[in-house]
Amino acid sequence: MPLVAAVAASHAPNILLEPGAEWDEFMALHYRMAPQAAASKPSLEAQQKLRRDAEKAFSVLRADLEAAKPDVLIVVANDQFVNFFHNNIPTFFVTLADEVKGQFTRHKFHYRNHKELGRAILRAGLESGIDFSFGEYIELQHTQVVPLYFLLPEAKIPILPIYVNTWADPIPTPRRCYQIGELIRKVADGWKERVAILATGGLSHFPGSPRIGQIDTGFDHQLLQIMREGKGRSLADYSVEKICQAGDSEFLNWMVALGTVGDAKASATFYMPDSVATGWGFVSWKLSS
Amino acid sequence: MSSYHLNRFLFDLKLKEQSYKQALANLDGALNNYELSAEEKQALKDGDPRRLRQLGAHGMLALYIMRLNPEFRSNIYWTQK
Repeated sequence: MPLVAAVAASHAPNILLEPGAEWDEFMALHYRMAPQAAASKPSLEAQQKLRRDAEKAFSVLRADLEAAKPDVLIVVANDQFVNFFHNNIPTFFVTLADEVKGQFTRHKFHYRNHKELGRAILRAGLESGIDFSFGEYIELQHTQVVPLYFLLPEAKIPILPIYVNTWADPIPTPRRCYQIGELIRKVADGWKERVAILATGGLSHFPGSPRIGQIDTGFDHQLLQIMREGKGRSLADYSVEKICQAGDSEFLNWMVALGTVGDAKASATFYMPDSVATGWGFVSWKLSS
Repeated sequence: MSSYHLNRFLFDLKLKEQSYKQALANLDGALNNYELSAEEKQALKDGDPRRLRQLGAHGMLALYIMRLNPEFRSNIYWTQK
């Protein structure tokens, strides 16, 4: 069966934190790294509007996902020092666990993991020159569960977490990430079940840096326009330096999704810079099935 | 020079409850479990994430030194990963 749906969404923790006290704590912590960013701190009303706008965007993505009736959702995200550390950082990692769990504040997450599909992707990679790392245990973190809270709140179908190292230098090229997506598409198109994919992260932000608060909205808008035009393939030509300069290293996760959709045009895009750290982006591709 | 051990301390502070409790109770003793330079130890005791980043700590690990700061000890950020 062909890949039936693809979506991409930011995973910034404050999307799922409650406007008000929780946002204030989140911002106070990050302003210790970048005190100047406090000058653009959003009001409570602005925080509440951001949350509502994010929920609206997620509702469109969720409706598209549900309409495609997937049997499994591949989740492409980056680890942020939860499962991997400097003693061993995989560039690309496929999860072969039976189940995966995680927690975000008071929210708990527990999904079956589709390790059969994971093994098929691993095998296809080995046969075509892409040697993934793999393992039988991971803990879910905000990079997965923030979007999953809105998109797959009930564990009706299994997921398959795939990790891209966007976090610890050196990181892979956009072209390599696009190729990973092409490989996944090939496996999905030959798979016996309906496969959907979610890529998370970005857009522009500089986490853990004195540049927190700088959001390259111009670059983000260019990315979204390119996706609306169905020209995601052209982004494979971008250098790592170019995307990192704009604070878009996590867009490498999205590059995997772009490799799966090929020349399909994004059917819906949403963008809202949060005035804290991150340009929140949300995209859906309706794929024929 | 590698900042592996500096990052390792911060990583353990993030993920290992036992390491966090030991650091809260006796920071000097906790730091002695790692191969840290005098400069790194002092920066960790000063608790300034910006300084830790300058010494080679990953910025998003450097923030975890704030777990030891009484003002930030119950911050919502620590309840997610």
